[in-house]
Amino acid sequence: MSSTAAVPFWRAAGMTYISYSNICANLVRNCLKEPHKSEAISREKVHFSLSKWVDGKPEKPNCHVYKLSCF
Amino acid sequence: MFRQATARLLSRSAAASPKARPFSTDLESAPAADQAFVDAWKKVAPNMDPPKTPLSFMKPRPPTPSSIPSKLIVNFSLPYASELSGKEVDMVIVPATTGQMGILPGHVPTIAELKPGLMTVHEGNDVQKYFVSSGFALVHANSFADIIAVEAVPVDRIDPTLVQKGLAEFTQKLNSASTELEKAEAQIGLDVHSALSSALSG
Amino acid sequence: MAMAALRREGKRFALTSPNPINVLRSSLAPSEERMSLGVRGISTQIVRNRMKSVKNIQKITKAMKMVAASKLRAIQVRAENSRGLWQPFTALLGDTPSVDVKKNVIVTISSDKGLCGGINSTSVKISRAMRRLTSGPDKESTYVILGEKAKAQLIRDSRNFIELSITELQKNFLNYTQVSVLADEILKNVEYDALRVVFNKFQSVVSFLPTTATILSPEVVEREAEAGGKLGDLDAYEIEGGETKSEILQNLAEFQFSCVMFNAVLENACSEQGARMSAMDSSSRNAGEMLDRLTLTYNRTRQASITTELIEIISGASALEG
Repeated sequence: MSSTAAVPFWRAAGMTYISYSNICANLVRNCLKEPHKSEAISREKVHFSLSKWVDGKPEKPNCHVYKLSCF
Repeated sequence: MFRQATARLLSRSAAASPKARPFSTDLESAPAADQAFVDAWKKVAPNMDPPKTPLSFMKPRPPTPSSIPSKLIVNFSLPYASELSGKEVDMVIVPATTGQMGILPGHVPTIAELKPGLMTVHEGNDVQKYFVSSGFALVHANSFADIIAVEAVPVDRIDPTLVQKGLAEFTQKLNSASTELEKAEAQIGLDVHSALSSALSG
Repeated sequence: MAMAALRREGKRFALTSPNPINVLRSSLAPSEERMSLGVRGISTQIVRNRMKSVKNIQKITKAMKMVAASKLRAIQVRAENSRGLWQPFTALLGDTPSVDVKKNVIVTISSDKGLCGGINSTSVKISRAMRRLTSGPDKESTYVILGEKAKAQLIRDSRNFIELSITELQKNFLNYTQVSVLADEILKNVEYDALRVVFNKFQSVVSFLPTTATILSPEVVEREAEAGGKLGDLDAYEIEGGETKSEILQNLAEFQFSCVMFNAVLENACSEQGARMSAMDSSSRNAGEMLDRLTLTYNRTRQASITTELIEIISGASALEG
């Protein structure tokens, strides 16, 4: 029942469904026994570089290299 | 130069011939699926074949039968694996946000959002237990159930000590959280870990 | 005879490059001057150099083919595993490429690296046609570009319509977390009524099917469902969880986009490796053919010069005798 209350919670806090589901998945992966844990964690590496375009010119790209926020 | 050109021509015709075949079968399975799109496409790009759409790669599903079938067909997919695909089972219980939801053959069509929790697949006396993190369950009128989850693991792979540790950690985090975002993250952590521990005990 | 050959070569070097040693050598053999203007004037050195470079190119393309083949094997498994991911959404929401909405965003998926046949220009061509199809007086369409190659092509004629470009996706192997974070960033940065993902679907090593997947915004889904038509069935579905229907549709649309993107990125990466494999295969075959031709020319020239030399010796000997 607590999660029905939490649904507006995460959206109100500025999260999207994608980030919410990623955090959930990350927490579940962290509670696995080895060797499944390290195998699952290896699926979490995030790396890309994104640049916004304004008036036909790219702005400075910002690199996304991070782990999920919880751990 | 000529040699290259002929090689290219050859490879193009080789690539074109297998392309032609699925197209003709497409027309049979979905004749008027997006005729409007194909027509509009021909207007803007007459020299190019219209791109395929996902529907043409999908195995057509049977129409809704008049009587309730005895089995439920389950597709359970994860990003990195198709855990169950087209499997016939008796019942599936999924953790919908409103509580555990049992899906039997002939269930009304439903879109259910899933919360972290225990999902069980019943097949005769055989019961498979998964812990799903989050996702969606789509039940169609023709007794097809599609379940998509971001992460799902068999329950016996969960480490109980880590769950207890996480539960304590996030209870403490929830009390110390200052911003809205931290609070929400701690709340999610608490939800996931309490669902994990109840899945282990239940 | 070996000395003569050496001197001849020295002479040839002197003609092509101002090397002082060779100039010296050729001055040591002034009698060669007249002879090299004859039949033996065809250079074997140039052909030999050419053969060496072609051989090296062939080695490189063969190695690239091997690398692409092993990458393809790894990525193909993951692409096939991810195919279950979009099917539920298509079963639920159907296929709506012909939907007519105001704000269209075309997500063009391409590769960062080249040498992979025509897959990038195919997605660019499809995207351009898609833009022509979806832009009009009261509707607009913009690009979100994945990968360097499509960016380089689209920058030429449609730089004003690019909203976002994303590169360096394949530093680590592609995984769902990465693509979903990426999808999240796209959704945060663009306004859309319909997202049209353009990618190459992997069919086999030699064939890729340009494909477009359409993702509608929750508002459009609701509107279309009420209006009937293709999404008319959606109203028959009961909604579990969430406070309102629009809330669950919003979650569903976000999740659909990340799932479709994940599969699309994998399929395109798979097509890229397949295309690179066949491109490298044909170029190492070409290099092999070229090498054969060069070897033939080289041997003929060598034989011709030997024959000429023999004739000279024999005719010299017979002149002495006579």
